[in-house]
Amino acid sequence: MQRDKFFKEIENLNHPNEKLIKTHCSYCGMQCGMNLRVNIQTNKIIGVEPRYDWPVTVGKMCPKGVTAYQQTNHKDRLLKPLIREDASLKGTTEGFREASWDEAYDLIAKKFTELQTEYGKDTLSVFSGVSMTNEKCYLTGKFARVAMGTRYIDYNGRFCMSSAAGGFLRSFGVDRGSTLPWTDIHETDCLFIAGSNTAECHPTSMFRIWNVQERGGYIIVVDPRETPIARRADLHLDLQPGTDLALANGIVNQLIELGYIDEEFINNHTDGFEETKELVKEFTPEYTSMLTGIAPEKIIRAAELYGKAPNAVVMFARGVEQQHKGVDNVSGYTNMALVTGKIGRPKSGVATFTGQGNGQGGREHGQKSDLLPGYRKITNPQHVKEVCQVWGITPEEMPQPGVSAYEMFELMEEKTIRGLYLLCSNPAVSAPNQNFVRKALKTLDFMVCSDFYLSESAEFADVVLPAVTWSEDEGTVTNIEGRIIKINKAQEPVGESKPDWQIQVELAERLGRGKQFSHLKSARDVADEFRLATKGGNADYYGATWDKIEKQDGVFWPCKDENDQGTPHMFLDKKFYHPDGKAKICALPYRPPAEEPCEKYPLRLTTGRVVYHYLSGNQTRRIPFLHDMCPEPFVEVHPETAAKYNMEHEERVRLFTRRGEAIYKVKITEAIRKDTVFVPYHFGHEDSINLLTIAALDPISRMPEFKACAAQLEKVEMKKVQ
Amino acid sequence: MKKRLYLELENCIGCRSCLAACTQCGGHEERNRNYVYDVNPLVNRQTMPLMCLHCENPACARSCPAQAIQIHETGAVLSALVEKCIGCQNCTIACPYGIPKFDTEQNLMYKCDLCIDRTKDGIPPMCASVCPSNTLQWLTDEEIENKKKQFNLDNGKWVTSMPYLEGETNVKVNLPGILQGITKLY
Repeated sequence: MQRDKFFKEIENLNHPNEKLIKTHCSYCGMQCGMNLRVNIQTNKIIGVEPRYDWPVTVGKMCPKGVTAYQQTNHKDRLLKPLIREDASLKGTTEGFREASWDEAYDLIAKKFTELQTEYGKDTLSVFSGVSMTNEKCYLTGKFARVAMGTRYIDYNGRFCMSSAAGGFLRSFGVDRGSTLPWTDIHETDCLFIAGSNTAECHPTSMFRIWNVQERGGYIIVVDPRETPIARRADLHLDLQPGTDLALANGIVNQLIELGYIDEEFINNHTDGFEETKELVKEFTPEYTSMLTGIAPEKIIRAAELYGKAPNAVVMFARGVEQQHKGVDNVSGYTNMALVTGKIGRPKSGVATFTGQGNGQGGREHGQKSDLLPGYRKITNPQHVKEVCQVWGITPEEMPQPGVSAYEMFELMEEKTIRGLYLLCSNPAVSAPNQNFVRKALKTLDFMVCSDFYLSESAEFADVVLPAVTWSEDEGTVTNIEGRIIKINKAQEPVGESKPDWQIQVELAERLGRGKQFSHLKSARDVADEFRLATKGGNADYYGATWDKIEKQDGVFWPCKDENDQGTPHMFLDKKFYHPDGKAKICALPYRPPAEEPCEKYPLRLTTGRVVYHYLSGNQTRRIPFLHDMCPEPFVEVHPETAAKYNMEHEERVRLFTRRGEAIYKVKITEAIRKDTVFVPYHFGHEDSINLLTIAALDPISRMPEFKACAAQLEKVEMKKVQ
Repeated sequence: MKKRLYLELENCIGCRSCLAACTQCGGHEERNRNYVYDVNPLVNRQTMPLMCLHCENPACARSCPAQAIQIHETGAVLSALVEKCIGCQNCTIACPYGIPKFDTEQNLMYKCDLCIDRTKDGIPPMCASVCPSNTLQWLTDEEIENKKKQFNLDNGKWVTSMPYLEGETNVKVNLPGILQGITKLY
């Protein structure tokens, strides 16, 4: 099944005095297979060699993947713990001194205990991320609840995947990012791709996507910009940022009007069709066009192409999810698959392009404020009981649900939260409304940051702990498909750096919780406890042992026991995870973006990635090739808009919103709407576009609206810039 | 079975992974040896790679007064031999595609050698190994023949080396337009 037409038997080149360690990339959800080249004399990683035998990506890598190995022995690596006594230097790189692990741990334990004694357990918080293994993600959730005993834990998936999670849970009752394996994608007949700049953000999907067209199939792309994938698409729906739900409703209306619905599927396997049919009636091509800015005939054509296709996949990404109605957008586009019955069979389904390496696994196992391992709910007493048994605590000891990532900054600013343990994330670049977020971080009484470089967020810390890169530890991650895969260790940690799971075990011992942590002496120990903790949950990993993962080229969850080979295709039995076994077709009233353009702020600002950088750029901006290719941010402007402002290509201009401002180089291109400007979000300090973005949160996923706000451009005098 | 580098320009997404990968071939001293161009950057996002085509009778080698540019038995036109290159830069002028690069510090020409350490043993070059969009592929002659049959361009041509700028080339290039001849499924 897995070895498709792109798979070729190729032997790797073995250089003398080197060994190859099979693993996966450190960056996005594609988790491309790669071999790290290790010098057997120095035992250091020195390069990369394609992993031709990985069935998903067959050796392919984007420029980030090719150069990912350069992170490990980089000159910027933190080699020892750092302590800074002078709090007035917070927000800068100044004032840190090297310390021993013992001194750092003692200080952390002392400060955490003091703060909790004075202000209560919940004065501490954990902000984590999902660019790390399932084992670390799992243990971070346990560490927050058991060792720190606080309700306040949340993670950067709130800026990434939480809307997809919310939408899938509502539509299907389960949140697996793709209902089918990636090896199906090139075999479908129509791809409907909304809000995904796939060529730049998930480049190694592209050989499969292009193959759909080579076979005579269709690609439909929804994006305010003519991205590389939109340029070659059969149909480009160039919508205004933040209007996806109107388009989704408009297309569902056309699917019904033009007779492409599958009544048998709707009747037997779904709820909510009649209500939805009624609601979308209003979304005629003309009305939808008025809301979205897309020509009516394109909307009809999209419904025709998708509706007629024998098999089709609806795909989306942060473009639709990073909105204050991101969950509705996800359910809205998912409606297309449900009304036409194009789901629950090979080559048809719904998928989101997972942003972070472990964006899927990391959101399932208890880093979210209200979740416990195996996608269990902290508000469900039975779930709490099950997890407490594994953790060795009583249900009374389990903290209450906390709040979402951005809301934690609000609690910091008002001093409800006074202490923070930050790991695997860089919110001083990636969170919206940066002026507020940086102020909140500065307000903290005590902050610990664990990272392998001194990130912009680490600049706010009192103690910085040196963590390892992905190549110095082992464990599993769950890729874009829902396939659990194995990351392997290629070299010993540099300097005194340690994996985060080890840091948490040692800190837990200092905090008097050794009983629940001391038995975890290796990543495999954590893995075994983690699998047990997921047993019986919706995201059941119990049967996904490391041995099985190696043998099967990964295991798709759910995988309940030793004999279960996993679940590459979801819903083949047409059973969804809601109690009645049916999927929900959702009737979703349209809402415009939280902030619409006005006279003072007439432009729509949207943000995204470039192919050379990953997330906040803390990792990729330090890699010479990637830095050279994209050293600084820019603002993309349509030539007619630039002419209106009398701006030239490469001129530096001021971009501002109600929340903040920044100076950017103008990049003129016709490949963007005239009413929209775009800035990539990988840059820190005064270059961060998140100084300008809005913290309007989705009511369900608490995802901020990174993708749409109102902005204005202004020429600046050169003197002022210098 | 002999394999060739085959380019399908239509697929290029401008990620420049080929350039990053070029630096990772053990024999390339971490310098990339090819190019990716923005075709019309103020208008759209079209990009294209410009790779050495490994001419059967290469102008770079012909123009070299020191026989520093050797042709490998596989047909790969190699980078200048360090001990022979006199740094005259004739090759950089002679090549109609502008491929050879020049290192002024070392006074030495360097160019794509088709990852000869790999390709001499049938292992794909780094660029074609990693290319996420299948713009660069490593194919047998039979597979390339199939490509010719699959893509029927309305001008009857499909490779950039017809008409040749510089004779027949070992690398085959498919002009943009591969989708012109495709019959849609529905």
